[in-house]
Amino acid sequence: MNQDGKKRWVAVVGNPNAGKSTLFNALTGLRQRVGNYPGVTVEKRTGTAFTLHGEAIELIDLPGLYSLNPRSPDEKIAWQVLHGESSGVPRPDAVLCVVDASNLERNLFLVTQVMELGLPVLVALNMVDVAEGRGIRLHPNDLSLKLGVKFIPTQAHRGKGLVELRAALGQSLAHPGPRRWTMPPPLAAAVGQIAAAWRESLPAEVRAEGKALELLAGSNSGPEGAKKLAVAWRERFRKEAYDWSAAVVHARYSYLQTVLKEAGIGSGISGGSWTDWIDSLVLHPVAGWGVLAGMMMALFVSIFSIASYPMEWIDAGFSALGLWLQGWMPPGIFCDLLVDGVLAGVGGVVIFLPQILILFFFLGLLEDSGYLARAAFLLDRVMHPVGLSGKSFIPLLSSYACAIPGIMATRTVEDPKDRLTTILIAPLMSCSARIPVYTTLLAAAVPVALVPVWGKAAAMLGLYVLGTGSAFLLAWVFRKKMLGGGSPPLILELPPYRCPAFQTVALRMWERALIFLRRAGTVILALSILLWFVSSFPKSSEDESVNLAASFAGQLGHWMEPVIRPLGFDWRIGIGLVASFAAREVFVSTMSIVYHVGGEEEGLIQAMRTATWPDGGLIYTPITCLSLMVFYVYALQCLSTVAVAKRETGGWKWPVFMMIYMTGLAYLGAWLVQIVGHALGF
Amino acid sequence: METFGQQMEGNFLNLTQVGPGTEVRVSRLECPPTTCQRLREMGFCENALVTKIRGGADLVCWVCGTRVALSARLAKQILVEHVDGRS
Repeated sequence: MNQDGKKRWVAVVGNPNAGKSTLFNALTGLRQRVGNYPGVTVEKRTGTAFTLHGEAIELIDLPGLYSLNPRSPDEKIAWQVLHGESSGVPRPDAVLCVVDASNLERNLFLVTQVMELGLPVLVALNMVDVAEGRGIRLHPNDLSLKLGVKFIPTQAHRGKGLVELRAALGQSLAHPGPRRWTMPPPLAAAVGQIAAAWRESLPAEVRAEGKALELLAGSNSGPEGAKKLAVAWRERFRKEAYDWSAAVVHARYSYLQTVLKEAGIGSGISGGSWTDWIDSLVLHPVAGWGVLAGMMMALFVSIFSIASYPMEWIDAGFSALGLWLQGWMPPGIFCDLLVDGVLAGVGGVVIFLPQILILFFFLGLLEDSGYLARAAFLLDRVMHPVGLSGKSFIPLLSSYACAIPGIMATRTVEDPKDRLTTILIAPLMSCSARIPVYTTLLAAAVPVALVPVWGKAAAMLGLYVLGTGSAFLLAWVFRKKMLGGGSPPLILELPPYRCPAFQTVALRMWERALIFLRRAGTVILALSILLWFVSSFPKSSEDESVNLAASFAGQLGHWMEPVIRPLGFDWRIGIGLVASFAAREVFVSTMSIVYHVGGEEEGLIQAMRTATWPDGGLIYTPITCLSLMVFYVYALQCLSTVAVAKRETGGWKWPVFMMIYMTGLAYLGAWLVQIVGHALGF
Repeated sequence: METFGQQMEGNFLNLTQVGPGTEVRVSRLECPPTTCQRLREMGFCENALVTKIRGGADLVCWVCGTRVALSARLAKQILVEHVDGRS
């Protein structure tokens, strides 16, 4: 409890990749997502930890920071929380700084800034095993004495040091002592004057010097007198060509170098490690691309080969359930609703769960191993010509799983124009919801026996490449032609490689499975029931096909057909396109309902292969299937993406722009496939 | 007549001009202020020791106990000198 008898709030702060989220999870028992690349946490998360005496403390896990001079949106979130300017959480009562023990000099730079916030500080000296492995001898007690804050060694991923940390959090944490780094004389004069103008209006524990430095850096909060002084000093430094911000960084680093030297802590070995050895392969200008392509191909082959077995089991399960229901229940509307509505809709989507889990398994391995940052480095060469930096790659790669976390991950991108461009193109990365659509259409386009697994994997890879290539082309249009300005240079930390933790990867797969099944049990279930209703009523005939054509859905489809006919789509596909506006995977469940095939995948594929136009011609020709796949590569068929884009861009302007350009592109792409296909004689 | 900046550039190399495996000392940063600040915060401050690990279009350096990737465009704006004083 704090002095007012209220629960204490402790902010968890540190450099990116210092292990904050791992420590936060270990202390709170929560499952905050972790990964071995910078920028995994892009928003604040809270959780309850308990001290050794059972006192509950609210921990706030903050995005990684290199300094308290925020630039990117995620850094601004951390800054606002630490200054008590964030809605939803009070100003913290203390700060727990998590530092990477193998990289102390740079990590402690942030600690020296945090110590000037006027809050009690505790430091978790994390990853001590990694530091010792590099030959760095750590002396936590010496560090505590020299810096004036308590250091506790931890290995968060192994749960070591947590007892000591809980014990320290239970004690009354002391405010850091006076500033120990030496301010250069011109700056000391400025800070002294500004601090004097502010000191009397500040609470006793808040450091006036820290506030003065913030004012000099351009902060707008403070008394008018202090603000005017800060403006005057900035102007004077500008005229004298004195780079005061460089002087501060230099003074802090000089101080830290002295502290570490006196504490006998070196920087360890730098070269010759297995990380460098792996990097020599994966960052190679030629071999690196081979590794990346090989990994992507392995992913897609796995999606088609390994996933086929559990998919068959799920398929058989839903078929058996449908037959059992039809045998157990008397024929009628309720039986139709369950078999042709609920089972067809939900089963048609749930069957793709194994493929989605395989995708997340691979992404988890890439994330946890540290490879993602290398892929960003490699892709910077491609992204730079289109006006983006490699930093945009990680949000784009996240979008292969789902555009929502991808768009949120753009908070790590510092340049606002870069960030907006990345948000605009993120939905073009083929997300996991497109997998059911692509798989069904690929199966409908070509019989399984005619194409080997690798052939389908290559076709799937082609669709991903089409989406990604188009995204890069559009990034060039948006960034260079529409928004203007140059592309930012790449500065990216490359974490050491780590053996992926099975638990972390499995946890992520489990979370995604729950999200997917929840969607199947809510949105898709509701839409399936609605679709069953609109495709079954009004009842006009006992003949199912005649009844569907005259139903509400059929009427809508027929109304749409003239618009989508040039794309090779009939009115039934039109129903699927409208229904899947909320979520792409609904297309498959809609088709299952439209063709009355229950939840069986094979039944749907057969029905699609034999579906004909009134003149007897096949609807799902290979060209039409390709046209439909291209439509889904480009179309923004996801309401959740629109909602998150609105939140992240602060208005409707850009989400509406996204909907218009992506729908237009989808129509144009699908139409071009038909034109070119027919011109080539298909 | 050479400006002060040109004289300084004459004496220093930029980070793209040193070979992989070479340890150098940062002498000056020639980039926009916000980029300079970020570089300094990540350890590339004046007098810091940097070891270039990989060269090429983009490069990787070892600084302050960690690997940092930089675009060649940015590396050209980081002026360095050899630790033994060679230029």
